[in-house]
Amino acid sequence: MAPENNGTPFRVLDPTATQSIATDGMAERPESLAGMRVGLLRNDKLNSEPLLDAIYDVLAERFDVSSAYRVNKGDASRPAEPEFLSDFSNEVDVALLANGD
Amino acid sequence: MTNAHRLTSDSIEVPGALEAIETYFDKGWSDGLPVVPPTPEAVSTTLEAANLSPDAILGIEPVKGAVITAEKAAINAVMAGCKPEYMPVVAAAVEAITAPEFNLHGITVSTMGAAILLVINGPIANELEINSGVSAFGPGHRANATVGRAIRLIVMNVLGTRSDDGLDKATLGHPGKYTWCIAENDQARPEKWEPMHVTRGLEATDSSVTVFSGLSGAQFGDHASNTPEGILNSFAERLYPLGPQVTEVILAICPEHAAHFDREGWNKEQVGQYLFETARKSAAEWGEMGLAVGPGDKPSESRDPDESVSALKSPESAIPVVVGGDGGAWSAVIPTWSLGSRSKAVTRKIKTNG
Repeated sequence: MAPENNGTPFRVLDPTATQSIATDGMAERPESLAGMRVGLLRNDKLNSEPLLDAIYDVLAERFDVSSAYRVNKGDASRPAEPEFLSDFSNEVDVALLANGD
Repeated sequence: MTNAHRLTSDSIEVPGALEAIETYFDKGWSDGLPVVPPTPEAVSTTLEAANLSPDAILGIEPVKGAVITAEKAAINAVMAGCKPEYMPVVAAAVEAITAPEFNLHGITVSTMGAAILLVINGPIANELEINSGVSAFGPGHRANATVGRAIRLIVMNVLGTRSDDGLDKATLGHPGKYTWCIAENDQARPEKWEPMHVTRGLEATDSSVTVFSGLSGAQFGDHASNTPEGILNSFAERLYPLGPQVTEVILAICPEHAAHFDREGWNKEQVGQYLFETARKSAAEWGEMGLAVGPGDKPSESRDPDESVSALKSPESAIPVVVGGDGGAWSAVIPTWSLGSRSKAVTRKIKTNG
């Protein structure tokens, strides 16, 4: 169906799309980590746990964070269920996620 | 008002076809091969062949909420080289890949690098001349080549799942990511075996597409066995490297092998039942192979080492598909992403105008 190149310009269409029904934006950024409960949300990959623990160790050393709260969403390939995230968000002030292959 | 007047995609003016092709390369809108320039007229004709309105939503990718409209699907189908009459197949395939159980986001961004295998069943396979015979997985057949390519272009362009600067993070990738579409070989299917779409709940007179998150297949020759059991024992040897309790796996059975099942009067259910019962190792043997028994990445430590564990999770985990040419006893095991545990095959009826 390609038109012949006979010197006549023609129009072609953009195949890309950005239309999305997702409405969630970025969470508000905290100004300080002092006193914050840090959620460590791992994705069931073996190395996600030591990676998050290592990062938390740095945070605990450099900032006056309050505590760590560790959970596993149990599936690296799918988003966590809304109820799971709701429970998680009730326990933490900030959250770190890791994909540790 | 014709569809061409209702298209809402941005358009670009190009001086000619070759310049258009280069433009699509430059913009990162191709799969690395030249595309057919998608003019509004060609896209409109393609939509009309499937009786689709441009703004019809064919599917929504569940994780990102990305919408795939008929217009965007048709643009990419034209680019892939599809004839207009292929569009109903493309539309049904988009419906199938966006079903939540297929887990499109997971399979397309994962390092595991699955491709999307389309298997066509029903009358439309003959009508569109979708190859199911000699070199069914190979090149040379327009419908196979372009329908599979259309789905990949949609994934790349509409969902942004590209490997250059996009979301595709596959370690090795897969040649089936250029295109991967076959039909089931109805002529070679044993008499007692129903077509795959009937097994999956549709009528024999329906046409359908079934999508799989296919990984690299393991082809093997068994020119010695002349019984169903012997052939399935050969299949079992290619199942073992996948690990125990595979949830879904495709058995691509060539006509020469299928003929033995036909001669012995086997039905399709017996295939999975035989493999489930006989393709087994002890938990200790699986462990010695470095393969986890049980869910997750960590080998289970709670199993009895002597427990007999099947290669399959259930008899239904084996999905036989008869395909290929008459000559040669070459069949294949085609695993699916996450070995089927997190991506399930999905079948959708193809809606034709006829």
